[in-house]
Amino acid sequence: MTTNFTSTGEYIASEELMASVNIAVALEKPLLIKGEPGTGKTMLAKAVADALGKELIVWNIKSTTKAQEGLYTYDTIQRLYDGQFGNEGVDDIAHYIKLGKLGEAFDSDKQVVLLIDEIDKADLEFPNDLLWELDKMEFYIYETKKTIKAKHRPIVIITSNAEKELPDAFLRRCIFHYIDFPSKELMEEIVKTHFPKIEENLLENAMNVFYEIRSYSQLRKKPATSELIDWLNAMMIGGVDPSKIKAELPFVGVLIKKDEDLDVVRRRVD
Amino acid sequence: MFSTFFYTLKAKGLDVSLTEWIALHDALNKNLCNSSLTGFYYMARAILVKSETDFDKFDLAFEECFKGVKSDNLNITDRMLEWLDKSEMTELLHEEERYWLNQTEDMHVDKDDVETKFKERLKDQDSEHNGGNYWIGTMGKTQFGNMGGNIGGIRVGGSTGYQSAFAVVGARKYRDFRNDKMLDNRQFQMAFRKLRQFSSKLDIPKTELDINHTIDSTCNNGGYLKLEWERPRKNSVKLLLLMDSGGTMIPFTKLLNELFWAIHKSNHYKDVKTYYFHNCIYAKMYKTPECENGDWIDTDWMFRNIDSDYKVIIVGDAAMAPEELYSESGNYRGPNGGLSGEQWLLLLKQHYKKVVWLNPKMAPGEAPWREAETAIKKIFPMYKLTIDGLNEAMVKLMTK
Repeated sequence: MTTNFTSTGEYIASEELMASVNIAVALEKPLLIKGEPGTGKTMLAKAVADALGKELIVWNIKSTTKAQEGLYTYDTIQRLYDGQFGNEGVDDIAHYIKLGKLGEAFDSDKQVVLLIDEIDKADLEFPNDLLWELDKMEFYIYETKKTIKAKHRPIVIITSNAEKELPDAFLRRCIFHYIDFPSKELMEEIVKTHFPKIEENLLENAMNVFYEIRSYSQLRKKPATSELIDWLNAMMIGGVDPSKIKAELPFVGVLIKKDEDLDVVRRRVD
Repeated sequence: MFSTFFYTLKAKGLDVSLTEWIALHDALNKNLCNSSLTGFYYMARAILVKSETDFDKFDLAFEECFKGVKSDNLNITDRMLEWLDKSEMTELLHEEERYWLNQTEDMHVDKDDVETKFKERLKDQDSEHNGGNYWIGTMGKTQFGNMGGNIGGIRVGGSTGYQSAFAVVGARKYRDFRNDKMLDNRQFQMAFRKLRQFSSKLDIPKTELDINHTIDSTCNNGGYLKLEWERPRKNSVKLLLLMDSGGTMIPFTKLLNELFWAIHKSNHYKDVKTYYFHNCIYAKMYKTPECENGDWIDTDWMFRNIDSDYKVIIVGDAAMAPEELYSESGNYRGPNGGLSGEQWLLLLKQHYKKVVWLNPKMAPGEAPWREAETAIKKIFPMYKLTIDGLNEAMVKLMTK
């Protein structure tokens, strides 16, 4: 592989993460990303696509998503209705076959980055249903007796919030990366890509409070990167005096989302 | 090739398959680790380990196999593979490491010695020290403290600065992810999702399009479209949750609370019923965790009204005096209907087809000092209340 993934202007990746991405690309295996909510799992795919100059296709998984939907769907009902009125093209099944996101990625003329977002939201068997397709990068459309084969193997990035355990057979085919919570230095870098002009004073005070809050073990949902970014943004717009951040905790609702957690933070700060 | 590592991983309980192992070799051939040990560590981990709960096991195996390989600039691809083939090489490396460490007296590292000195100095030291070469502090040269330049010794708290392979391994920062730890709510919920048995015979509206019948009806309708609907498949599992409350269970209140909400939130069972008991089950089951006399139902009533196809989960620490289990003359908590606790448990077992007992502080194997627990283990399959235990229990409830 000549092209390598590195941090971009908008996305700062740790070295381990960059290595994992490059390994997955070189070995042509899907990259499975896990991590706390708000650590930029979904953003990663966009950054990879940008860095490698490829198109990004996103397949958002919901609890009702079926594997088949990613490949193709056959709109029988439309065809039946069309058949009633003798519309044109009814005799051509291909008319009613629509490629899903995975199908689109395979069918693309250029190599693309395919993001399968939050795969764990779907049914437990969902990943197993995609084993063959992700391995061989092809699938068969029964209705038209055609095989759709990837012209260029897409770079597949899969994210998971660990809501469900993924099947072993599926995991064996993936490269796995767990996004650690960023260290203070890395976090500063990340913040600065979002707000290049942020005041040092504000950043430092806010970061100290942020990491202190994260260290409270009683919190049910610890604030993560995305919450910190929102919080800083709120404080910059609101024009908060940096020296008062610790004492007053302005806009703390942006950082802490649960009532119980708010109580914990208030009690600790007092 | 360096199969020792493979078998060490297996021995640590990591289920590494041949596919993954070959993928690792493929990656090594392509020199994706940039010939560095740290690169190799991350690469091997990404390819071989598929869950952060297993990172700790991987770290332990990695440390065992590669301890002694200090330099990060080693050409790992060729030379190390050769070394690793010979198991005595690891020994040699240890010796080599020790030799280098002993070169300067100041840097002499002997674990016990370091620990003793550390304790001594900890006793003597009464203020914060940074820099310097005697006290425990940061940036110094002694074997104790944080961020120092010394190679071996004790690191006191703080976070790992330089992420070299062994810094990561040594910090064991993934220890908290281990599967055998007590679990949190989401993981509870995930485990409970294993309990499902789909059935479309339930009494719910028909909302899904039934393609086959639609085609039949349409044909019978002279080609004019006639849609047919069917009932969606729903989970038909019914659950009876019996929880021990108060007394020795108080330290586990939070855990039990989480378990309770996980079951109620998961919201996908056909029915969930919860009752409480104190230490052991007798003639009455309490409706609230406070277990107040009067606020109860007859255990007989429960048997009569809650069908035998409910799956029963009993949560309790099974810590009771033997007489609480065997005495027929009653116990201090409500009536017992002339039967001993053990007999009530046997009645329960007779009535319900599927029962498991979850125990937050179960002793491994037979524990003679916990007589009641051992006796109950003989009646019901008992599992420790951890992710692994809960998962096993769920499988037990689902299988015949």
